[in-house]
Amino acid sequence: MSNNTIPAEIERFDLSARIQHVIMFTTFLLLAFTGWGLKYAYQDPASAWIRFWGGAKSAGIIHRVAGITMLLDFIYHQFYLINQARKGGMRLSLVPMPKDVVDAFHNFMYFFGFRKEKPYFGKFNYMQKFDYWAVYWGMFIIGASGFFLAFPVTVSSLFPVSTLQWIWDVIFIMHSDEALLAIVFILIFHFYNEHLRSEVFPMNWMWLTGKMTTEELKRHHPAEYDYLFGEKKNK
Amino acid sequence: MRNWLNTAALLLFTLVLVPAASAAPDAAACLGCHGSMEGAVNVNQEKFSKSVHGSFDCVTCHMTLKGAQHQGLSGAKPDKAIQELATAISSKSKIDPVAQAACATCHPDVYEAYKASVHGQNVMVKKSSDGPVCTSCHGSPHYIQPKASKESAVNHFNVVQTCGVCHEEKIMSEKYGFSPQVMERYKESFHGRKLRLGQSGAPACPDCHGAHDIKSPKDPASPVAGLNKIATCGKCHSGATPKFVAAITHQAPDPVAHFTEIALIILTVSVFLFICLHVLLDIYADIRDRLLRKGGKHE
Repeated sequence: MSNNTIPAEIERFDLSARIQHVIMFTTFLLLAFTGWGLKYAYQDPASAWIRFWGGAKSAGIIHRVAGITMLLDFIYHQFYLINQARKGGMRLSLVPMPKDVVDAFHNFMYFFGFRKEKPYFGKFNYMQKFDYWAVYWGMFIIGASGFFLAFPVTVSSLFPVSTLQWIWDVIFIMHSDEALLAIVFILIFHFYNEHLRSEVFPMNWMWLTGKMTTEELKRHHPAEYDYLFGEKKNK
Repeated sequence: MRNWLNTAALLLFTLVLVPAASAAPDAAACLGCHGSMEGAVNVNQEKFSKSVHGSFDCVTCHMTLKGAQHQGLSGAKPDKAIQELATAISSKSKIDPVAQAACATCHPDVYEAYKASVHGQNVMVKKSSDGPVCTSCHGSPHYIQPKASKESAVNHFNVVQTCGVCHEEKIMSEKYGFSPQVMERYKESFHGRKLRLGQSGAPACPDCHGAHDIKSPKDPASPVAGLNKIATCGKCHSGATPKFVAAITHQAPDPVAHFTEIALIILTVSVFLFICLHVLLDIYADIRDRLLRKGGKHE
């Protein structure tokens, strides 16, 4: 083991990615907070909660501004990806692969004690890929429907007459139900993995530093460790 | 004791309120008895005095009084409009139809609009006992508050509930052919939710359907009939088009929307269960490993 050539930590997220993440979670929280009040308008604390955001009108404006900012952040991310690819730094390490299914299966085996070791995870494990692609699902379903809801007069001209009986109900349900799914997902899965897990509590500082220690990389992303530092070890 | 108090109150009121010479008995005289009577004939003096009509004498509306106890107490002779309305509502208004019709004296424009409305037609022409009269929506005339007051039944934020008294009833929807889900669908809409959250710009029922002059949506004159909606929706949504105004029907959701909702609920619940299971197993494995590795190197 030539320790000299292996750095103590590696950069997982560059500055741009970290800023994109901050914008993403700030707007996400604003959207969740203001949207929650409208979704549960008939549950009692809603009126007081919406007053906290300056009333329904002001909460609506905050929701729209945050939504558009998130959409722009998302679009910017696509250019960021293109730029990464152009620089030749693109490794498709976030693309779901058949190995992820195997990893998930192995992970469950490990949970139940049928396997001694955690799966041979790559740069991003299947949970992280799930986290990442959930944003695409959210942007597609919630972002698009939110855009339609924000500009109903303009958007209605795009729909064929045959859909007019149900299209708005569908858009409304999509926006509201999938937003709940997104909130539940972040609150349970993302918060557990990046905040509550005993190893990272109170939070995984990577969102600020972008860095991961090589030790951690070796433990949690052994395939990536081997890829970077060329140590082929037995699973 | 109570009578003595009432008499004292009566005397005080007489001194304070009553202008010099009035032939008709003033409210205080009536309230001497009706302020403390039980049941439908009771009038709460305090609430009455705070209402928009609190300065009225009772006989302003209760023009014709029955019974020996009221002998010698009466107001002006009811005019034609009042008699017309009183006759129409006599089957609905058991106690004093003339008094209930007396609103028309001071509110003739509203009365004319009401008479032509679907509600008014139902009461006055079809003699239906369902149709609302003034008090059905505005509440007891003794306690009417200005529309801007939060206590008013027709206040922007209360009126939906007031309409719902009848329009939430399944029997009514079957009888008159409006959507049985009209209230529910309104309440779950953005309009209903925003109104509930206190946004004054959010429309309540009368903002689109009209109030005293309300028409059936099947009536071509209704603001929500056919393409009239373009102007009605356009009050807030400038540039409204026929395709846009098709959005709100208050009808039960289309099957497409219904099944989309079911599919999305299944998706949400399955993801929820999966991630909960995943997190719990992760915690379990973490604790197990720590216990088994006790004394060993700590990660």
